[in-house]
Amino acid sequence: MTAFEQVSVGDTIPGPSFTVTRDSIRLFCEASLDYNPLHLDDDYMQGHFGKTQFGGVIMHGMTNFGLITRMITDWCCPLAAIHRRLETRWLKPVRLGDTIEPAGIVTAKHTTAASRWVMIDVTVCNQDGEQVARGEAMVEFPPSA
Amino acid sequence: MAESYETDFWKDANVRKMWDEIIPGEPRPTVPYLLTREAIELYCRAVGETNPLYLDEAYANSSAYRGLIAPPSIHILLMFACTPADDWMRSPGTINAGQSWSYNIPARPGDTITLQARALDKFIRRERLFVVHDNVFFNQHGEVICSGRGHTIRPR
Repeated sequence: MTAFEQVSVGDTIPGPSFTVTRDSIRLFCEASLDYNPLHLDDDYMQGHFGKTQFGGVIMHGMTNFGLITRMITDWCCPLAAIHRRLETRWLKPVRLGDTIEPAGIVTAKHTTAASRWVMIDVTVCNQDGEQVARGEAMVEFPPSA
Repeated sequence: MAESYETDFWKDANVRKMWDEIIPGEPRPTVPYLLTREAIELYCRAVGETNPLYLDEAYANSSAYRGLIAPPSIHILLMFACTPADDWMRSPGTINAGQSWSYNIPARPGDTITLQARALDKFIRRERLFVVHDNVFFNQHGEVICSGRGHTIRPR
């Protein structure tokens, strides 16, 4: 059976747990070159942002994206499959001390003229079980996989 | 390039375009960026990546990729690396509201990355000022690495 044939709708994909600290945010600033004061400046974050007030620094939303990507590639690379697409929406800000964890579930499999594809719903939840991000991923299983 | 990178996003904040001045369809000035192995390793540390395709040269050389590659999500770094200091992507208070990215071929250490970028649309919803971003990254051979669309909420 090929790797593609072994994947079933409903399969779950576990992701890595990640705890947010000032150090983890600082490291993400250095790695991404995103030094927006949203992530660094406590005084600035006491202010209002249109209708939103955060009350303190928040994690980069793209940390969610990086963790989801890590989950997808850790799952698909050993299967010789290729991560082709990720769409995400942020639902809640992630704050200092929060621990977040992405998870995936296979929702569909498709065969096109030249290849095979697996669709995955992804969520990122915090320690209280609240969804902080949601999205969809698409993984290609080339004919060789 | 990273050595001279301005990390104080308040500097030049007054010369950056606000929502009213952003013209959908107008290309944004961008700068080429030399992606190094060190930058990839730093990014991997920040998100806990341990995949040997990104970090272990001997393993990567013997893989189907025949050499080290960067994680797909390296565009998180490339977005700011290819954006000049006076660009509105760096405006303090810019809030990322969601993104979608399609991946063609991986970026590799030693690649010189270029970005074609523009605002594609802007609108007001629930009293928030939104811009839709359109971004495509290329390597030095003119090959598409990845393309993405994002939404940001602009500071007032």
